[in-house]
Formats: sequence, C-alpha cells, structure tokens
Amino acid sequence: MSNIDVKGQQIEVDEDGFLVDPDVWNQDIVEAFAKLEDVSELTEDHWKVINYLRDYYKQFGIAPMIRKLCKDTGFSLKQIYDMFPSGPAKGACKLAGLPKPTGCV
Amino acid sequence: MKIPLHMAKEKDLQAAGLRAVPEEEKQQALVKGIDQYRQWARSLMVMLETCTKCGACANACHSYLGTGDFNNIPAARADLFRKLYKRYFTWTGKTIGRYIGAEDYDAETLAKWVTYFYQCNECRRCAVYCPFGIDTAEITIAARSIMTALGVVPRFMTGVAANMIKTGNNMGIPKPATIDCCEFMEDEMKEETGLDIKIPVDKPDSDILYIPSSADFFSNVDTMIGVAKFFHAIGANWTIPSTVLEAANFGLLFSMDAMKEQNQRMREAAKMVGAKLVVQGECGHGWRAAKMYTEGANGPAPFGLVHILDYAYQNMDKLKFEKLPWRVTLHDPCNYARAGDIIEQPRELLKACVSEFVEMTPNRERNFCCGGGSGILMDEMMDIRMQLGKKKAEQVKELLPLDFFATPCSICKAQLPHVMKFYGMEDLKMGGVMDVVGKAIVLA
Ligand code: SF4
Ligand code: SF4
Repeated sequence: MSNIDVKGQQIEVDEDGFLVDPDVWNQDIVEAFAKLEDVSELTEDHWKVINYLRDYYKQFGIAPMIRKLCKDTGFSLKQIYDMFPSGPAKGACKLAGLPKPTGCV
Repeated sequence: MKIPLHMAKEKDLQAAGLRAVPEEEKQQALVKGIDQYRQWARSLMVMLETCTKCGACANACHSYLGTGDFNNIPAARADLFRKLYKRYFTWTGKTIGRYIGAEDYDAETLAKWVTYFYQCNECRRCAVYCPFGIDTAEITIAARSIMTALGVVPRFMTGVAANMIKTGNNMGIPKPATIDCCEFMEDEMKEETGLDIKIPVDKPDSDILYIPSSADFFSNVDTMIGVAKFFHAIGANWTIPSTVLEAANFGLLFSMDAMKEQNQRMREAAKMVGAKLVVQGECGHGWRAAKMYTEGANGPAPFGLVHILDYAYQNMDKLKFEKLPWRVTLHDPCNYARAGDIIEQPRELLKACVSEFVEMTPNRERNFCCGGGSGILMDEMMDIRMQLGKKKAEQVKELLPLDFFATPCSICKAQLPHVMKFYGMEDLKMGGVMDVVGKAIVLA
C-alpha cells in the first residue's frame, strides 16, 4: 500500500496503483491516474467509458464484461486501447476507481 | 534477497481466512509443515529421496530455459526443499548434514522458496524427462501449500481466495452480475443466430451442471457462447451454478485446504440442482483439481465428471459444422496433456471446425507451458512471465501466418496475449477451442 499525491492530498492506492477506497474517487484523482496511465488528454469519450464503468460497478459490484462495455459505449476494443493504453481492465477500471479485476485476466 | 512478488499482508491474509505465523516461530512451523505434508503425501517422499542429479530435467524446463537462472533447474528448485528435508528428517542430514547437501533454515530460506516456487509453472514437463519420473510440480505444490499455512503467500493468491470465499469465483462476480452477463450473451446469440439460446443459472432439476471459468464472464465471452451453442445443439438440460462460477481451483496452486473446500462447493452445487453429470469448462489446473482430487480428497461423488472438450468430442456425431477457412494451431495446456488426459479431443474438434490444423513442435505431452501456469499472472511478475513464455513464443513463431491460436485454458488465455505481443505477434487472434466450435457449429 502506498499514497499518491493528488493536489496536495494523500490518496491511498494498492500495490497495483488502484484506489483502496472507491468512495474517495473524484475528478482530481482521475486526472492524476490519467498521467500515470499515459492518457494524454481526458476527452468526452474517456468520460463516457469511465462513467459507464462506475454506473455498472455501482449497480453490480463488479466490472462489466469487456464486450458489454464496448457494445454499450459504442467503442471498439481497439478504440478503448487507444484511449487507455493499458486496456479496459488495468487502465479504464483504474481511472474509474474500480478495484483491479483479478483472477485469470 | 529481493522477492519479485507482492506478498500478502495481515489484512489480505485475513480476507482469505489465513493468518501469519510470527517471525520467531516460522522455522519451527516450516519444519512441522514439511513433516505433516510428507506423511499425508508419500509421493513427495519418493521425489525427495530419489534424485541422482543426472541433469536430464534442466533442458526440459522452460522456466530454466527462459530465465537462465540456476535455481530454476527443476532439480535445483527441488533441492531448496530437499536440503531442509534432509537436515531435519534424515539421520545423515542431522549428523553430517553439509556433506550430503543438507542445510539449516536461515533468514533467506523462505525468500528463496517464495521466489523460486513461484517461478515454477507446475507444468510437469520435467517429470516426462526425468528417468525416475520425479515431478517437481509436486514439490512446488507442497512448498506453496506449506508456506501459505505460515502466511507466506503472494497477495494475488489471497485476493483470489477472498473473492472465492465471498462470491464463489475468482473474479468476485456476484449473482446479479452473473445473470446480467448471461442475458447479454443470450442477446448476442439471438442477434447472431436468430435463436433463443439460453444460459440458465441455478436451474433446478438440471441433468448437467456446467462449471465455467469466471474469466468467461469478463474477457473470454466466446468460450461461454460456444459452450451454450453446443448444449443447445445437443438439446441438453443444463445450468451453471452461481455458487461456484469457477472451473479454476487456485487452491491447488497455493493451499490444499482451499482446494478441498472448492471441490466441496462443486459437490454441493451439483446436489442442489440434482445434476448427474458435472462438466468442467476450459481451465487446465482446475480440471486436474476436479478430476484427481474431487474423490481422492473429498470422498465418493454421486455424479459423473467430464471435461467440456471431452464431452463435446463424445457428442460430435450430433453436431454439424461448417468449416472456417482458418489455419489454426493448438497449445496443449499442461494440465490437460500431462495431468488430465485431454489430448486428442481438442484436435478432433478443431479438425472438424477449420480448414487447416497444424501442430506445433513439440506437442501433446511434450508441449511447453505458456509461462502463466500455476497462477503466475501477477502484474509485478510481468518481466519474468515474458521469460517463462519465451519457449512458447518460439514454437508459435515457426508456424506463422496463423488465423487463430487455440489456447483452451483461462490462464493460458490471460498469459499468452502478453507473450505474443512481447515477442512481436500482437495481431495473432487467440481463444478457446469452444470458441471455434461455437463459430463453426450449424444450429437448426
Ligand atoms: S532428471 Fe530427475 S534425477 Fe535427474 S536431476 Fe532432474 S530430477 Fe534429478
Ligand atoms: S514443473 Fe515445469 S516449471 Fe516446474 S520445474 Fe518442472 S518443468 Fe520447470
């Protein structure tokens, strides 16, 4: 466990750099994560993915199937990788403040 | 020495129902752990007593070939265990210890154990080449299980274990999410085929209980879809269980106790729906755990147990395929080819489904591991994982161009895309054998 500095505030992240407490999530944290994840600019499309992930997580307590994420947001997997270079599980979920998807992924 | 893994801390251990043994008691606990294990599994004794240091296993091990690290030679890896066994449990070891390779426990012992027993993929290839059949995977399984009881276990394993306790699967998918995923896949199939193909959850009075890998509900959607189409085609009365949505059994990879608990979950799920047959999904080590230990460790089971690839093969006469114009090769998951008797079935299925099936060399029981076997899927291990996957990448490269690379195991499916990308084969399409079945099958 370690902390990252978000505008002077210490935010706790786990060994993989994911938020320990999903409830502290806010826009400043997304911006800080974006830099760490090589996301150069947060566009409307990024927010569409992030908000979708958050809504799904709030309802179901888990990240959605990757294909469902693509279908419901209208982005191809390649587009998601272009937006979040480390992919939907490691990149997009991290920015959305979800826990790291684990198991055989 | 620096351990290349993120190890579980107190909080992680607790969530997985484990505890840490205090530092000053670790030596005693480790020796006791070895003692208990050797009495429970006499096979371990044979492995520990027999090695002649002939060296035949060295070049059989992709872990040694990929990393070049002496301690990854199977016999050297096993020696990390053997040294303590000799020191504490043999008369010569106790008296003239260092002359016969016995060694005292010291501050480095556990660091070395963790480091090297988590660079063994438990693939059992060494056992094929050892003149005595010494299976270093058995020693790794024992070492990891003994360490876990001490609280010495990677955080990745306790994370999966905590999810299993909470939700009955490694990813932590709750039942409402499972149902949502099934509805999504049903819609996908309806769009594609126009047919109402169901994926029933916890349906009472089912003849067949199908146990998928939870990764099929996140990344490997086509595997689950292929299976659903297959069951539809043969008119099966089947269901998946929400209580054990997991063909993987990580217990085999870090704690024999956890493995038995999961096998028990499977037995209860089968009982709940009245299934006469349990069909296991595409997962290598999980198949080994189910096939070899469900009865062995948990007592007689009142149902049959079969692997989906075997079951699909047995039902091939009821299926109609339209061959895909693909050149395809197969990666033999280690636990199918060297521990599970699933060798020809995926080949026959693929040959029926695609225009060109090619073998990689070596194959079948001599195949090399993907490098992720035994749950070495931690992000912090990525550099080492790429070294462990080097032999596999070399094998595949020789066969290019390929349209599809069949890797019918969830760990392989998680590991190999990274390996292919790392070795310059980023565009190669991959997935399970049931994915291919689902694409080639003709449904009425
Ligand atoms: S091949 Fe068998 S006997 Fe020879 S060194 Fe390896 S484990 Fe020992
Ligand atoms: S089981 Fe596989 S990885 Fe482990 S020592 Fe044997 S050949 Fe190497």
